[in-house]
Amino acid sequence: MLVLWYGPAEAAPQPNAYVGSEVCRKCHPDVWLNFYKNPHYKTLASGKEPPERTGCEGCHGPGQAHVQALGDKAAIRAFSEMAPRQVLDACLACHGADLSKVHLERSAHTLAGVDCSACHSIHRSPVAKFLLAKVQREVCYGCHGTVRSQFSMPFKHRVNEGFMECTDCHNPHGAPAPVWRLGLRPRLVEAALATEEPCLKCHSDKRGPFAFEHPAVRVDGCETCHQPHGSMNARLLRRPAVFTLCLECHTGMGNFGRQGDGITVQSASHDMTNPRYQNCTSCHVRIHGSNADSRFLR
Amino acid sequence: MRGAAQALALLWTAMQLAGQPTVAPTPEAVGPARGREAGNYNVVQWFETGYRLRSVGGNAGKYRSDVNFGNGVRLLGGRLSVNSRDGHGRFFDEIVLGMQGLGNDPYQLSSLRVQKNGAYRYDFTWRLDQYYNPALTIAQGQHFLNTERRLQDHELTLLPQSSWRLILGYTRNRQDGPGLTTVQQFDSRGDEFPLFADVRRERNEYRLGGEIRLFGVRLNWLRGWDNYKEDTRAFLALPSAGNNPADLTALEALRRDEPYRGSSPYWRLNLRAEGRVFAANARYAYTAGRRRFVFDESAAGIDRLGAARNRQILLSGAGRRPVAAGSLTLSVAPGSRLRVASHTAFHHTRMEGDSSFREVNNLTLGSALIFFQFLGIRTISQTTEATIRLADRVALYGGHHYSARRIRSLEQFRTGPVLERLPAEQDNVFHSGQAGIRLAPRKPLSVNLEAEVGRTDRAFLPIGERNYHGFGARLRYRTRTLTWSVAARTNYNTNAVSFSAHSSRSRIYSAELSWTPGGRFSLDAAYGKLHLDTISALAFFAAGRLNFQDRSLYASNLHSGTLGARFEIGRVSLYAGYSHVEDAGGDRRRAPGAVASLPAFVAAQTFPAAFRSPLARLSVRLHSKLRWNFGYQYYGYREEFSGRQGYRAHTAYASVLWSF
Repeated sequence: MLVLWYGPAEAAPQPNAYVGSEVCRKCHPDVWLNFYKNPHYKTLASGKEPPERTGCEGCHGPGQAHVQALGDKAAIRAFSEMAPRQVLDACLACHGADLSKVHLERSAHTLAGVDCSACHSIHRSPVAKFLLAKVQREVCYGCHGTVRSQFSMPFKHRVNEGFMECTDCHNPHGAPAPVWRLGLRPRLVEAALATEEPCLKCHSDKRGPFAFEHPAVRVDGCETCHQPHGSMNARLLRRPAVFTLCLECHTGMGNFGRQGDGITVQSASHDMTNPRYQNCTSCHVRIHGSNADSRFLR
Repeated sequence: MRGAAQALALLWTAMQLAGQPTVAPTPEAVGPARGREAGNYNVVQWFETGYRLRSVGGNAGKYRSDVNFGNGVRLLGGRLSVNSRDGHGRFFDEIVLGMQGLGNDPYQLSSLRVQKNGAYRYDFTWRLDQYYNPALTIAQGQHFLNTERRLQDHELTLLPQSSWRLILGYTRNRQDGPGLTTVQQFDSRGDEFPLFADVRRERNEYRLGGEIRLFGVRLNWLRGWDNYKEDTRAFLALPSAGNNPADLTALEALRRDEPYRGSSPYWRLNLRAEGRVFAANARYAYTAGRRRFVFDESAAGIDRLGAARNRQILLSGAGRRPVAAGSLTLSVAPGSRLRVASHTAFHHTRMEGDSSFREVNNLTLGSALIFFQFLGIRTISQTTEATIRLADRVALYGGHHYSARRIRSLEQFRTGPVLERLPAEQDNVFHSGQAGIRLAPRKPLSVNLEAEVGRTDRAFLPIGERNYHGFGARLRYRTRTLTWSVAARTNYNTNAVSFSAHSSRSRIYSAELSWTPGGRFSLDAAYGKLHLDTISALAFFAAGRLNFQDRSLYASNLHSGTLGARFEIGRVSLYAGYSHVEDAGGDRRRAPGAVASLPAFVAAQTFPAAFRSPLARLSVRLHSKLRWNFGYQYYGYREEFSGRQGYRAHTAYASVLWSF
């Protein structure tokens, strides 16, 4: 029927020509009915885009052969049948130049073979924005199960509660290599103000610049002491007691630190057998940096 | 058609349910899934109004820190979406309004998107977080916070589908509320005292940007002005003898003001060009950070030697931190089987400021100079990654990363009449390589295996990455109704130099299952184990003697699991779930010869604790546009570390979910 409906109207059809989205709706009414709510509907509404960037065929390619083959999936670009790389290429044909996706080609997700359809559901998205397949945290938890565990801990950023989203700190489409640490990690972290750790977007009181910086913060980043997703320890610390965290770096040994001669060992006036000295931040209150004291006492 | 609508509604419900972490709002659908027509627009809306209640036994402060849901009436959730049917609305084509917890929840949010195709797009989010943290294990609980954080973000894009577009944005972040802090007086060996603090912090960011496409090249620019400030005041409410009664230091009065005003104006430029086989992206960003500050503290009392003291510290100055960052990324795809990407980046930051500040001591009528410590960090990095598709179902990938970092610092001290300068400079070089294989043996099944190795010639911190390697594996099976995945990863790092040794091992295992055989039943389950043990060299003073042959041994074995199932029987839907996180600690502290000599270390090196939360929710469809809901969630926290923070909390809610 579709062939009869479409075919005779065309005098000399090309081997696989564009037929327009109106043809697609005849067999795919369930998709078409809600398509006006889809961000991709803009291509149809504008009426100015070329056929290869308009409506259904903008993503699925020319549909004539598919129609003539009575819906054969092999005759059209069917995303459910495509390899991850092909899905990525199809989406990047339009989205590749978006600023947020310019690093997608070299992102950890792309290297691991995670394509767009792993996170996005183009026709059946249950969420209001970005055509995600699920609410954002569940999309991420689907692969990052250990991150789910971290956000379920007593001390955590409020992602499960809905106050924050993974994309407040991460760009799942890839980000420039982080440069506040030497290695590749943390991956997919989007810099704040284009240059600094995203933590400082909210925790601006830690931003400085301070007359006396705690070099660990500036050189190796907040993750030196904190676990940003979640922790069993107060203030998202890596250790349950603060003094163990401090003393593991302040050993005075090796060629570490800003002078390369070891990080200052604690004062001889501190008796670590006395519980009083096991609360480092009771006195060193400005541990992220101070304007008034090189030992962060005020 | 009706069947398709029902399927859509059920799909929506099932997808919202996965791993539901909090009992409310209710993730059930109400009203017609496809909405109703109003002129040229389609409208979908639902709202949930209800009452939350809670009962807490044990440490209520810790409950507020972890969970913080309270009693009262709320707009638990809601959504309104309006879409033009032809994409040619007069003033707008889409409005999407979402909300959660409005009224009285500790976590409230609202978002709005309004757009007209081809003309404009406006996004707005507003969030509120009531942050309560007694932090009993930090500074003896004297760094307590009971603050409220409000965030709002606006972004307006004009001509979003045009070859040139304009972007305007504004972000505001405000934190205020009472807190506690501590101060030490009157010298570096004196006692410490808790102070009240009235926290007031604010950040405002304004953005103006644009994008132009010309001859296949896209230029994106953004100019931003980020201003931040703090006006927190700290004061002593009553005369205090301090935390340590054996110390003679006492405070009769203390007032501290330390306002600052910071600004970080920035530029970001991005240039992208792409052809059939290549893409190039160049990016440059510059932030000119500056912060002006005043520190004014006056204290009166008795010092540790029993003498009356009256001290004022007055400081003012300004610090600067210009940051420049840039990168060039090239991607080449010479054939359908090979992709190569190269990323070269630099980052340069300098922290510098006024050369000196004066500290006034009005007891001695003397003053001391304090010098800004310069710190400069310059990093250059290069990453090359390649993917080769060997066959339809097999691909190899690998890459190399190189970083060179130079750290410069200048510390200055005045010792009597002599100004001492301590300049330092050091270079760190880092290489890492990674390789992996992707397999797709059957259509829904994918397998990833990868390895990574890294070497640093000189780590900055004793606990930093120096010689590390890691292995990871992931299996994933995904169909429309069933998804399961298992993953494992292990990382080893050693950072040992003369007199100092550090090593860490982590092993991570996780498994996930999501099964939605139909709209009437769904099951989600996840389990994860995170094992970490580290050993680090220590040096500390005990009873006046330097102990440098000790070791810090830390062990953690975290187990976490979630389980959730949803059933729908007629008009009734039922959800039951359970979440459990437990740190089982470790037994390496008992290993012969591996125990730290300081008992406090032994006690602090493992932290067995458990946090569990079962929940159940009942939702009854009274009418196509009305549901009644009831839910219960229990939170239990138990620890074997200090024993002071355990609690049991019963929370519940009753609500109606309605659509009109």
